[in-house]
Amino acid sequence: MKLIAKKAILPLIAFGLALFVGGLVIGFTDSRVLSKIGSPISFLKIFASTVGNAYLALFQGAIYDPNLVEGHSFLTGFYPLSQTVVNAAPLMLCGLSVAIAFKAGLFNIGAQGQFIFGAIGASYVGFHYELPIFLHVVVAITAAIILSALWGGFVGLLKAKTGAHEVIVTIMLNYIAANFLLWILGTSTFLRPGRLDPLAPPVKDTARLPRLFGDNYSVNVGIFISIVVAFLFWLLLNRSTWGFKTRAVGANSSAARTAGISVQRITIGTMLIAGGLSGLAGAIHVLGFQYELTSDTAGSFGFDAITVALLGRGGPVGVVLASLLFAGLRVGGTTMQANVQVPVEIVLVIQALVVLFIAAPGLITRYIKIKNLESGQEMASKGWNG
Amino acid sequence: MKNTFRVVAALAAATLIVGVTTMPAATAAVKTKACLALDTGGVDDKSFNASSWAGAVKVKSSSISVEYLPAASSADFAGNIKKFVDNKCTIIIGVGFAISGAIITSAKANPGISYAVVDDGAYDCNADYSVCNPVANVKGLTFATQEAAFLAGYVAAGYSKTGIVATYGGAPYPTVTCFMSGYKQGVDYFNTVKKKSVKVLGWDGKNGEFIGDFGNTTKALATSKAFEQAGADVIMPVAGGLAAQTAQNSMTSKKSVTIWVDTDGYVSANQYKSVLLTSVMKGLGEAVGSVITDVSKGKFTNTSYVGTLANKGTKIATYHDLAKKVPSKIQNEVRAIAADIVSGKIKVKP
Repeated sequence: MKLIAKKAILPLIAFGLALFVGGLVIGFTDSRVLSKIGSPISFLKIFASTVGNAYLALFQGAIYDPNLVEGHSFLTGFYPLSQTVVNAAPLMLCGLSVAIAFKAGLFNIGAQGQFIFGAIGASYVGFHYELPIFLHVVVAITAAIILSALWGGFVGLLKAKTGAHEVIVTIMLNYIAANFLLWILGTSTFLRPGRLDPLAPPVKDTARLPRLFGDNYSVNVGIFISIVVAFLFWLLLNRSTWGFKTRAVGANSSAARTAGISVQRITIGTMLIAGGLSGLAGAIHVLGFQYELTSDTAGSFGFDAITVALLGRGGPVGVVLASLLFAGLRVGGTTMQANVQVPVEIVLVIQALVVLFIAAPGLITRYIKIKNLESGQEMASKGWNG
Repeated sequence: MKNTFRVVAALAAATLIVGVTTMPAATAAVKTKACLALDTGGVDDKSFNASSWAGAVKVKSSSISVEYLPAASSADFAGNIKKFVDNKCTIIIGVGFAISGAIITSAKANPGISYAVVDDGAYDCNADYSVCNPVANVKGLTFATQEAAFLAGYVAAGYSKTGIVATYGGAPYPTVTCFMSGYKQGVDYFNTVKKKSVKVLGWDGKNGEFIGDFGNTTKALATSKAFEQAGADVIMPVAGGLAAQTAQNSMTSKKSVTIWVDTDGYVSANQYKSVLLTSVMKGLGEAVGSVITDVSKGKFTNTSYVGTLANKGTKIATYHDLAKKVPSKIQNEVRAIAADIVSGKIKVKP
């Protein structure tokens, strides 16, 4: 417990600081606030109320909104939390995908492309085949994992056999995946009958992930799958020979090679798993939330995942919490704009600030002494020439 | 340093709490709350999101409030609309045909709220779109832009020295192809009347030249150059912001002129004014504005709005700086043709 608290203190301070700076941005970019700049008292008053209400709306949009209750059970107010959790699940899996590559000293920028292939696989099985209720989900998810694992494993193969840098390769493969998706949505197999725009048919009811609390809340079993996967991630890395080897390669691949570990095999294996994890995310998004494949299905999950993995410091618990935080910010941002007209883009500023303070721990530790702070020396990734 | 930090943190927290508790009283009773659920691309897309929002802002008044939510991807549509329902919007307007499905689902669940969809008829269709019915509280806002594009095609044919004009689209959506189709029909009409044989590149009546999306500037530029090499001296890009590439190319090559679409390019893309022959305008903003005012006056109906030459929902812009290069005979004929389209004497297919 103490260990977790120690690990959490830096991210928490970073988040607090990000909210503080974000608050300044909200205040100083609001025309209503700036119009009062002449009189200090009313300026401060409106500044505080603008920022306070923006963050209140952010909270209401991400966790609990009493305005939704009105005549219903108080539980109705948890609708935003359900949205947060639904969005967190794919982010979590993509984050784990990036994190597992970190452990082997690899930088997986390709979660976006792997997500796309997972989404394609899940969508195709979901709308094309007629299968019994439980089996359909399993087959769709399996198809997604296989497709995306191959897509990710291909990168590992290139890296292992030819030394092609995985950063370049994954970035380029993201473009190929995105354009492949656009193309395949235009083919007669994926085009929804009667439509001309890139939109696949909806996945059949039997392939949809069951919802946990009835039709009004979109939260589904996807979150359980994600958390179980996060646990397996920990088990694999810390309680298996393969995980030990992976960490050894990540720490120092030359030493690992000298010790008789096949770096090539670990590289390929890690990228296979990384691909599969992102693909599972795509499947959960399509089968659990969107129910149809569109050209922008992947949103920015694959890219946000890099941030999530960094913020979570590459560990499963960290990634789970970081993805919940990011999903909450994103979902809450909509309410912030709808309720108090503070642009949802502010959320991106806050997210970026969190990363800035995390990635540069010196910024914080230089000014704030934290007792027993676990030093930021444990590198999440070895970067470019690792 | 540590103490300073604590003081700052405490101050910030206190400010927030004070801020929330001194929440200003709600603004004076607004009767109509118009809420726009935008398509992806953002509110500043210089295209249909921007035009629709501008139209809403224009009718804002003491009794009408307007707000919007952007969408990062199509997965946001349903959530944004639900947010508006929770916030008790009087009318919810979905921008773009892609959001139509989400609007209809929400409309059927909330019969007390009025809805509108920009660029879609907003019909409730079955799985394979063979049966479509109107929904009682949803109004579709569509545009017969082929009518104005017909005029643009006629102007292009009359202006062309090489006898070759061109068009290309962003993607083969009906809202794009209707421009291209009208354009070709206008050229064909010119050929019939004048016994000429002006050729249209990029649209053969069924298929045409498409970029694939609305963001690939490289391909848009390459396509424009290819058209010029094939001899085209008028190009009409129907691809949102990509039109800028074509206009820029016209300026550097001096071999072609550009026909702008959606807005009057002379106003919205003034830096290209020297090469803009005309613009095929689509009155998105006016349509959005009028549906909001209808709601505020209690006159909302679900009858689809179709912008035509007759109701000025679509039109071509004046020739501005190039007016001298368009023969006055052609200018007069265009006016006569417009009257014929309005009266139904000339029929333009989408």
